[in-house]
Amino acid sequence: MLTSTIIEERKVSLVVIPLTIVALAIAPSVVSGSQLITMITVLQFATLTLAWTMFSGPTRYISLATAALFGMGVYTSALLRDSLPIEALVLIGAVAAFVLAFAIGLLTLRLRGVYFILFTFGVTALIRSTVQWWESTVSLTVGRHVEGATNETVYLLMTIIFSLTLVVAFLLRNSKTGIALVAIGENQDAAEHLGINVTRVKVLTFAASAVFMGAAGAVMATRFRYIEPAIAFNPLISFLPVVMAIFGGVSRLWGPILGTAVLIVIQEFLITEYPFWYLLLFGLLLIVTVVWLQGGLVELVERVYWWLKIEWIKMKMRVKMRWREWREA
Amino acid sequence: MMLEGRGVTHRFGGLTAVDNADFHIEEGEIVGLIGPNGAGKTTLFNLISGAIDLKSGTISYKGEDITDLRPDQISHRGLARTFQTPKLFMDQTAFENVRTAMIYGNPDKKFRYKDAEQAVNQLMAQAGMLTDRNKPVRDMSLSSRRRLEIARALALNAEMLLLDESMAGLNPTELSQSMKLITRLRDQGITIFMIEHVMQAIMGICDRIIVFHFGRPIAEGTPEEIASDSTVRAVYLGS
Repeated sequence: MLTSTIIEERKVSLVVIPLTIVALAIAPSVVSGSQLITMITVLQFATLTLAWTMFSGPTRYISLATAALFGMGVYTSALLRDSLPIEALVLIGAVAAFVLAFAIGLLTLRLRGVYFILFTFGVTALIRSTVQWWESTVSLTVGRHVEGATNETVYLLMTIIFSLTLVVAFLLRNSKTGIALVAIGENQDAAEHLGINVTRVKVLTFAASAVFMGAAGAVMATRFRYIEPAIAFNPLISFLPVVMAIFGGVSRLWGPILGTAVLIVIQEFLITEYPFWYLLLFGLLLIVTVVWLQGGLVELVERVYWWLKIEWIKMKMRVKMRWREWREA
Repeated sequence: MMLEGRGVTHRFGGLTAVDNADFHIEEGEIVGLIGPNGAGKTTLFNLISGAIDLKSGTISYKGEDITDLRPDQISHRGLARTFQTPKLFMDQTAFENVRTAMIYGNPDKKFRYKDAEQAVNQLMAQAGMLTDRNKPVRDMSLSSRRRLEIARALALNAEMLLLDESMAGLNPTELSQSMKLITRLRDQGITIFMIEHVMQAIMGICDRIIVFHFGRPIAEGTPEEIASDSTVRAVYLGS
């Protein structure tokens, strides 16, 4: 990534981040009830995708443990909803996810590439099965009911969690640790030999990113209302953030957010308008992205931006030349 | 004594790559490490830099035992290296490559962005790399890449450099530039330990040469002594 584009991104972000947070804060008084529900889904996946990108984006270690970390938050709520306020559940869910991610991090230290991907996928399946076994043989429940919270409460909490994720992701990209993460993704051997404690940076960043996933899980459980291992640890929750991040573009802070928002809006539209064609069209869209737009939506936006800028400069020069010709004549 | 190894041993499965090797490097020396392919030269460098662990033996640097240290800890002590095939951050510019080393390689200085930038520019000017400053490594020639790797190692405030075939694949002009750079670094007080197959370079700038064969030193001496050594001739040419 070139220094100049990073600086430009930093400038843009310093304006856009506060604007985004303000817009999210006033949205409930403007939008309809069903739109608010769509926005909650967008916030849920935007948080997961952004948190996933914090670690997996620069390091190129593709983690499929998102469902396990999100599920930790969901089950925290399922177990403690009756005895604690929702704010406390968010904190406990975040800590639970941090601890699990820290353990996964320590176990995967020596794994690279496809082995890391498979391990994180396996861990998620293992945790789902363990919880399932526990519920059916020890606690003797199939699923659990979680007392719901109002859409407004869920929206507010998700907005706070998402905003925190966004600010942390921004700070991380422009920090010393951010430089180390990129170095690890580019060449881990070289990074080690330049004085970077690769293990510490990887494990701590992975665990820190899990905090937001666990917090989101704890809140979303109150919207799901009925929890069972297959819902809390749904593998789709591991895959979708990867898809959304790639669709939006991993190289920019705004890529994962743009990818999530656009995909979810398209998804909702397709489900209601073309319920039978929905998956086919959705799949086609992803194929088009992977084949023709590997930098994701942000790349498309940037290409259009530069094209417009160059055309604008060309036009100015043309006008100038005409003016000169006209004056000389 | 700058660097000392005693009984250094490493095995890959049944193959003993480095076999009970003793060696020492004095401060301010340029020492060449030569030997046939598979002699264990690069493995020795990997053991010194901490990339792989020793099976037995000890390595000490400036009197301190560094046998069990990690690569990042070793580089913080001013012992830096380059790789046989340059391991650079390919998607970054030359500047960004050196900046990472500058920021992380000097933990005591706690570089802020701006200070680091100035220090990086100074270093790149010294290494004659300012023209390539904003070039992505992808677009750089092999000789520039090799030189960038040296510049990046120097950013660690290096007192000793391990150079793994940093002259392989260079043309005659680039080769003489590279030899000049290494001699100049030595004159600035940096100790050099280099693996090299280019005999012209080895014979031209080394104070001392160590010949490796089957994982251990079989001969050692000045370039002239090595050139006339009968065991070395036997190993390289067959008796």
